[in-house]
Amino acid sequence: MAANTAETSARGEEGGKGGPALIGGRYRVDFAVPLPGAGGGVVAFAARDAQYPAASLMALQLRAFAPSRAHAIEILAKAAIPGLLLPLAEGVSLTPEGGEGGFVICPAPTGPSLAGNARAWGERELLECVLRPAALALDGLAGLGLTHRAIRPDNLFQGSAGEPVTLGAAWASPPASLQTAVFEPPYVAMCPPYARGDGGIADDIYALGVSMLTLALGRVPMSGLDEQAVIRRKLDVGSYAALVGDVRLPSMIADLLRGMLAEDPAHRPPPQLYLDPSAARARRLAVRPARRAQRPLEIGERRIWDARSLAYTLVAQPDEAVRLVRSHTLDHWLRRSLGDTALASRVEDVVRQRSDSSAEDTRAETTMAMNLVAVLDPLAPVSWRGLAFWPDGLGTALAQAMFENQEVAKKFEEFVAAEGLGSWAMMRPDHCDVTALRQMAQHYRMWQRIRGLGGGLARIAYALAPSLPCASPLLAGRWVARLGDLLPALDALGRVPERRRAEPIDAHIAAFIAARQEGRLGGDLGIFAAGALQGGSAGQNEGQLTGLRALARLQAATTTAPFPGLAAWLAERLAPLLERWSNRARRAEAEAELNRLAEAGQLSPILALFEDHHALASDAAEFKRAVAMVARIDAERAALRAGAATRKQRAAEIGHEIALGSGMMALAASVGWLVFG
Amino acid sequence: MKAAASGKSGAGQGAGRSWVWLQGLACGAVATLATPLAVLLGVLLLPGLVVLLLDRVPGKPVARIMLTCGAAASIWPAWHLWAQGMTMPGALDLLADASALGLAWAATAAGWVLAELMPVLVLLVLEGTSRRRDAELRAARARLEAEWGIAPQTGEISDAGE
Repeated sequence: MAANTAETSARGEEGGKGGPALIGGRYRVDFAVPLPGAGGGVVAFAARDAQYPAASLMALQLRAFAPSRAHAIEILAKAAIPGLLLPLAEGVSLTPEGGEGGFVICPAPTGPSLAGNARAWGERELLECVLRPAALALDGLAGLGLTHRAIRPDNLFQGSAGEPVTLGAAWASPPASLQTAVFEPPYVAMCPPYARGDGGIADDIYALGVSMLTLALGRVPMSGLDEQAVIRRKLDVGSYAALVGDVRLPSMIADLLRGMLAEDPAHRPPPQLYLDPSAARARRLAVRPARRAQRPLEIGERRIWDARSLAYTLVAQPDEAVRLVRSHTLDHWLRRSLGDTALASRVEDVVRQRSDSSAEDTRAETTMAMNLVAVLDPLAPVSWRGLAFWPDGLGTALAQAMFENQEVAKKFEEFVAAEGLGSWAMMRPDHCDVTALRQMAQHYRMWQRIRGLGGGLARIAYALAPSLPCASPLLAGRWVARLGDLLPALDALGRVPERRRAEPIDAHIAAFIAARQEGRLGGDLGIFAAGALQGGSAGQNEGQLTGLRALARLQAATTTAPFPGLAAWLAERLAPLLERWSNRARRAEAEAELNRLAEAGQLSPILALFEDHHALASDAAEFKRAVAMVARIDAERAALRAGAATRKQRAAEIGHEIALGSGMMALAASVGWLVFG
Repeated sequence: MKAAASGKSGAGQGAGRSWVWLQGLACGAVATLATPLAVLLGVLLLPGLVVLLLDRVPGKPVARIMLTCGAAASIWPAWHLWAQGMTMPGALDLLADASALGLAWAATAAGWVLAELMPVLVLLVLEGTSRRRDAELRAARARLEAEWGIAPQTGEISDAGE
């Protein structure tokens, strides 16, 4: 209880006299006014701007392990794009529950969403109120190299009938994580929500197309099917056919949707083209329909008629790939039923690569299954042991798996260890930058190979998801997504003596610092990791010192503010390191100095105290001399003790000599007296 | 090496034996040529000569001291016998003189006391010096222990003379 009180007090100081802190220095979340439906699937509250109180704003609350889109927020906070709820700021605020939460501040929508729309929109209304404004917004995003990835009716807002719609906020959750399979291309929908990645602007065009179709129909298409069925239907007959079905649409809308719902993202016209729907309608690409087999390939109860359906089946059932290859069924089907000898040759190459490894090498089999999917359908995402994900969604997928599903995390670990991204890219060189992806795979592998603290999957997750808050158990109840927030959080913890029992840096914090510092502290943390793993007092001490070094450099790099709580915590944990001074007097002086520096709250002087190599070397040399002197003393005392018998004998000899001398003197005196007396 | 050592030892024993022979020869010569003097000195130095026979310590230091002291007290009776003509009656007269005999034997006894006492006194001095040095070393070690945190010596030497 006392600990909680102290910690709350510390947090209050940080937040400003116990009240919630201002986000971005000006926005305050009004938890009393929730805004249901305004966040497009994200919990939203009203927000107040301290500078412009009349502004209608909302605060979107981030979910744990679902990082915001930091890169997009950073760029869009300085941009002006019409028809889009742009992010204004991102930050941390105290929640009514007493903990901290991450929030993204956006303008509040001017009207309700189109989720409750029950009427069929006309062609003109669709073009003027939806397509044009959305295309304008998407064009603005594309110009900045960004995507929206949350276009669906419940995230489209309209002030009043006849007004252009506004694209809702899409910045407070991973890209496309709130999209249902209907609104995403099948190759995106087959990935779990957190593994979809930023994608391309063509994916937004697809989602816009489905949204327009929904409005045109007055209902969500394919609403009776589950997600898997939606994906399979889209793959089987194509997205347009699957979504539109037998419905008769205005010819203009139908033509536009054919382009917007193309399977290959490269075939979807760019948003700029939709500013003039007539021009977009005129742009037609001759797409060869997928080759269909004469006889189906049967996998379980499923009958496969084409390569991309086969690829999708193998995504979910990678073991089937191995069975099909071993039984030569795949090769026969591709050559004889599908009649695609070029594809069969590529598949043969993949199988030949597998044969280079031993039969028991399960990783090689998994890689083969992944490569087979990539070869069968180059548009498909990465598939690894039943997981499907896009490379740019790896960070958020990894974060979610690491904290919520260890089994999936283990699969990702194997993927990174196998540098699967590079293999996958090489199978589809026309659809990605092979060199870049191979380099990324090597980077991930390198991070993974950093043993212990500061490395592993956590390092990759924090590096790839820049706004992922630190998940250290030490920071429970706190939202530390930026490196600059880490030290104040640790300082607040350090002010509570009960919380100082653990080290101030654990695996998550180390990985967090390493990832966010972009290698500047990598070396330190590597030593830290090695020290922690070495065990024993020497390794532990070195690890603690490296932790101090990392935090001191972090303080020097981010702020000049003192952190007496953290400094006291570190001083307490580092007290055993004072034993490095052998001289008792100097040790006592160092201890007094350490306490003084801890009160000052600056970490660099504390580090300097422990890294005064000149003084330590001098102390060590003097200690060596003292030990040698003690050895000499002990040897001399031992000799004294051992010399008792010798002294006795020597005393007898000397005594006898003296006595004999005395006798001789008496004899001489007697003779002298006789002669001269 | 062993042969050389045994040869050396044999040479030493030979020299000692020769010295004994020479001493015996000298004593024999004195007993033959100056019998009264030999009798006089034999009686006056009798305690020292007895100890000389009984003392098994190499070099017979106690006997040598006793004989030296006894000799100092026997110079005057021997000179007196020489002055009287070196006769047997003169020797017996001198031996009958209790003061001469008593002085000689007392001197021999004093020599024995010196031979027994002096080693003890010297030992006391040497032990005192050792103890003082040990105390200095112990103090120096304690200072180093306190200054550097060096562990105390196990099996502490409590008494250097033990």
